[in-house]
Amino acid sequence: MFDTGTPETTDPGRARRVYYRVVYAIVTVAIVGLLAGMITGRELIGTIVYCAGVWLGGGIAYLAPKLTDVPLQDERDTDLYNRASGLTLGVLFVLGLSIVPVIYVLEAAGRIETPPEVNGAILLASGLFLVWGVAYGIVKRR
Amino acid sequence: MENDLPRRREAAGLSQGELAEAVGVTRQTINAIERDRYDPSLELAFKLAAHFECRIEDIFQPEASDEET
Repeated sequence: MFDTGTPETTDPGRARRVYYRVVYAIVTVAIVGLLAGMITGRELIGTIVYCAGVWLGGGIAYLAPKLTDVPLQDERDTDLYNRASGLTLGVLFVLGLSIVPVIYVLEAAGRIETPPEVNGAILLASGLFLVWGVAYGIVKRR
Repeated sequence: MENDLPRRREAAGLSQGELAEAVGVTRQTINAIERDRYDPSLELAFKLAAHFECRIEDIFQPEASDEET
């Protein structure tokens, strides 16, 4: 019923460390590249480096666990991701619920003027919850 | 959930890494189970029981507070 055989590797721990270091290094280079591009006025190059790094790092992070017998990620990693995601959404939900209505009421009353960045953040958070709701519906039916 | 995984593993002369490799998880996961910081899935519990040739309840026991709920 269960395959408890030994995977074809001599050191799974080393493979796991290399996997995480490679992914984090690529994403770090991507972010640094984007920031460097912004600072030096070479936004296009920075954006290309960022996109290439994120797609490459994301691709490796997604594909590597599927292409090897070495347990690069396991059920505990999934559990940790799920709990961290739930905590993040919970914090955003509580913050949004307690702050957004206040902002709208005060703005309507002419007490404050909301900068466009705040409106953008509210829109982004709303979009995140919308995507989460759709994803939840899909996962629930599978 | 309490467990006697450390005792069984040491009795079998296995390191955490070797046991992890045998049941297809990471060493960190075995470590977390042994320290009662992670409850394994049913599938992993079955794998561990199969590896030590015993029943799941021989390795894992609910804590007193778990039994009350």
